[in-house]
Amino acid sequence: MSNIVPFFEKMQALDRRYIYLVVALAIIIPLLIPFNSKTYVTEPTANVYKMIDSYAGRSDRAILLSFSHDASTMAELTPMEVAILRHCFQRKVKVFTLCFMPAASPLMDYALNIAKEDYDVQDGIDYCNFGYKPYGLFLPILLGMGDDIAEIVETDAQGRKISNLPIMTDITNYNEMNLVVDFAASSAVYSWIVYARARYGVNVAAGITAVMAADNYPYLQTGQLVGMLSGLKGAAEYEKLVDVFATHKNPDGTIGRSYSKEILQESWIKLSDVDKRVYKTARIGMNAQTVAHVMIIVFIILGNIGFFLSKKKKEQEMM
Amino acid sequence: MKRQIPLIIVITLGFMFVAHTFIPHKASVAFYDWWVSWSKAISPFAVILGIMSLTMVHGTKISRKAPNWQYSALTLFALVFTGASGFIWGTSEGTPFMWLFKNVQMPMGSTMFSLLAFHIASAAYKAFRARSAEATVLLIAAIIVMLGQVPLGMAISKWIPETSSWILNVPNLAAKRGIALGVGLGMTATSLKILLGIERTYLGGGD
Amino acid sequence: MFETISNLIAAFLTLCIFSFLYKDNPFYKFAEALFIGVSMGYAIPLVYENAFLPFVYQPIFLQGKLIILIPSLMGVLYIFRFSRNLSWLSRYPIVFGMGIVGMGVPMSMHSSVLVQMRSAMLPLDNINTALIFIGTVTILLYFFFSKEHKGVYGKFTNVGVWYMMIGFGASFGYTVMARISLLIGRIQFLLGDVLGLIK
Repeated sequence: MSNIVPFFEKMQALDRRYIYLVVALAIIIPLLIPFNSKTYVTEPTANVYKMIDSYAGRSDRAILLSFSHDASTMAELTPMEVAILRHCFQRKVKVFTLCFMPAASPLMDYALNIAKEDYDVQDGIDYCNFGYKPYGLFLPILLGMGDDIAEIVETDAQGRKISNLPIMTDITNYNEMNLVVDFAASSAVYSWIVYARARYGVNVAAGITAVMAADNYPYLQTGQLVGMLSGLKGAAEYEKLVDVFATHKNPDGTIGRSYSKEILQESWIKLSDVDKRVYKTARIGMNAQTVAHVMIIVFIILGNIGFFLSKKKKEQEMM
Repeated sequence: MKRQIPLIIVITLGFMFVAHTFIPHKASVAFYDWWVSWSKAISPFAVILGIMSLTMVHGTKISRKAPNWQYSALTLFALVFTGASGFIWGTSEGTPFMWLFKNVQMPMGSTMFSLLAFHIASAAYKAFRARSAEATVLLIAAIIVMLGQVPLGMAISKWIPETSSWILNVPNLAAKRGIALGVGLGMTATSLKILLGIERTYLGGGD
Repeated sequence: MFETISNLIAAFLTLCIFSFLYKDNPFYKFAEALFIGVSMGYAIPLVYENAFLPFVYQPIFLQGKLIILIPSLMGVLYIFRFSRNLSWLSRYPIVFGMGIVGMGVPMSMHSSVLVQMRSAMLPLDNINTALIFIGTVTILLYFFFSKEHKGVYGKFTNVGVWYMMIGFGASFGYTVMARISLLIGRIQFLLGDVLGLIK
């Protein structure tokens, strides 16, 4: 005991830069030495997947991806965006992208460019980037799309009149563009719930940074959010869903199969079987996340042992 | 008058919007369309505020030769250069403007926030103490959620992700709902105060 | 080649920011100053292309809708925000947008309060619904500050505190995850995109 206490006291006073070094190593090593780990898919993520998948091949259904974040949270949100876009391109779901902050505008191009690389999809036919609109128009556009999307949004990112684009055939308002997924590091999704959901009944889902995730559970229970992808874990889950179902190669040569809980539980995707790194970014990251979480837990435990030992020592000295 | 007229505008528009929410009449739709078209025309000018504030802060530093004023000069140079590159070469993929975003703005923006990972780890070691029963509950809930989120939790026992999910869906949900109800009522009250002209801080200082 | 140089520049700037972990230094200051300037600078052409041209220039000059001159001039009044004598003029573009708060009152009351309350009043047919009900009520009691938290009432509000601690714990767990994820993203960039070490 007498040896342990000074040791922990020394550890308590450890320079923070040593801790930083441990953090860096806890992330670098698992990224360099990859291992396969099982991604456990949660219901809120599966619900988003199922809803998007139900629009497959329909010309009178579309989804809107609203990018409400800047580069600072790309690590969590971009893999989600890429995975959802891939899902849409693979299953022929019409998809629109839109943002209200300048910093998000290039992120839409970034995600679209990664996702469309392997697919024969065309801007204006299979997808359309509505581009950046000033924040002052957030509510007007959000509400206006309940009446007529082409009228309120007017032009896409390339300045083309939206009403002239082939993708708009059969798409007028939220009745057709029936799902909005908002990617945010903020409470932006609440505006969709408060205005678009309450007034027009559009389905709203959140792709959210983990910081915000716990706050959204009340909205999941009420159905105001149909689903949610939380942080890197949510992205990893969606990547897995796309690999297990949307891009699955059937024995008859066709691609894609419907969602099934049983298949999901049994399936095991080896990371080395996924050729492109951009399609497994979140899952590779989750390996490092595992090690980092264990490290943080060990830090908390060690810190507390030190705290209690020195507290006990002080009490003994007092006596 | 400098305060009264803006206040009258907010109150009038505010009540017209309340009416618009409940009454889907033609006149109400026309009012809304008018408001949208005007808002659209006002919207691009808000960016002036950001540019002016940045230019003023850094301009003053440069003119006073304040310590580290050179960095302020760099900020202003970057501001002008990035803006100009967008006007000269356009903003689409493959332009210098996009290059600046991908190789300067994006890496630095994401790195700034990633520094927090180091700070939270250091705080976990030095500050998160189970000083009381409540703090212990907080730490235990946090640890279960942390383990439940990563594949290791599932590998240890299927109960870990399930308990984590229960924590999120039951006690956490109740806690966040209690808080959200308070916040929701607070927001409604604040909106009402603005609508009735009681809350006026958005008008700024001066008379 | 161009790609490699671009990646190296991005990597250098990433490391400049990381250098702050050791201590504040000129490299960090350089990167920070550059970042602020670039971030603001690149909003300008985007706003010009996506808002000024379609909503101001085209309606007025191409479609001849001269009425749009009024809101445009109102927008220009933002310039006076920092003027000592004329800052009151900048209130006009602000209050015009504020009007929509009138819609916010009924809508946020509906979504944030009424719908949430309805779900809090579900039949207590299983243990979880009952637990959620107890939690919500006790937390609301806790935030009722007009009555001192003592006696039986204090016991109730104490239950609320425990619920909140679990809620904060969950948020904390998620926050740790979020912060680590951001760092993973950057290290994936350095190891994968720059050094090509991640397969």
